[in-house]
Amino acid sequence: MEHGQYLWLMAGCLAITLPLELVLGARVWRRPRRLLRTVLPLVVVYGLWDAAMIARGSWSYSERYTTGVLLPLRIPLEEIVFFVVIPICGLLTLEAVGSVLHALGRLRAGEPLGRVLRELPRGVPEAPATADDRSARVGAR
Amino acid sequence: MGVYTATALLSVALVVAAELLWWRTGLFTSLRYWLAMAIVLGFQIPVDGWLTKLSDPIVLYAESDMTGVRAPWDIPLEDFAFGFGMVTLAMALWVRNGRRESA
Repeated sequence: MEHGQYLWLMAGCLAITLPLELVLGARVWRRPRRLLRTVLPLVVVYGLWDAAMIARGSWSYSERYTTGVLLPLRIPLEEIVFFVVIPICGLLTLEAVGSVLHALGRLRAGEPLGRVLRELPRGVPEAPATADDRSARVGAR
Repeated sequence: MGVYTATALLSVALVVAAELLWWRTGLFTSLRYWLAMAIVLGFQIPVDGWLTKLSDPIVLYAESDMTGVRAPWDIPLEDFAFGFGMVTLAMALWVRNGRRESA
């Protein structure tokens, strides 16, 4: 249990952000291919940086609170999990904020509260997946 | 100032440059990005704080490789640059990948 502390912290991060997908319509877990193509390059880049810093001795990990499982380049399993979990939490936050802004735009456009809330878990309609919410807010269905 | 300080700053510079010059997703001019980053920062403090607390650390740092400034609690200042760069990279790649899918 103690050796799993770092992993439990990461599991907690996934659990606490799950409502962003299920209730606020983040639509991140529902796009597994896009998610993979986002997280994979990030894990490679940050994994290499991490490995270099570990090799240098810039940081190390408590033997007490980690599993001791080492991946290639002596990267602890927990670090790779970190580089997967934290970016996913960030993406869920980004998309949930976008979804809520979109819903607020629909309310301002005069749509009934009940319908907007009911459709909130569906998130922002597929079409223009841009970073610009101002256009998304104007383009309420 | 040390290797962690320098590489953390470099990582932010590289991610911001890649977004502005290469991917151009428009992330930095969107409201949802800045709101999301504020929320992420709010959650970084308890999570990172737990990992780095000097009373019972999970991650141990070589003080010589960093500024040594730790706040709030015992979070190394560099961790905030690290987190900003990493989460921004994830978001920029995500938006770019979304455009490619719908294109």
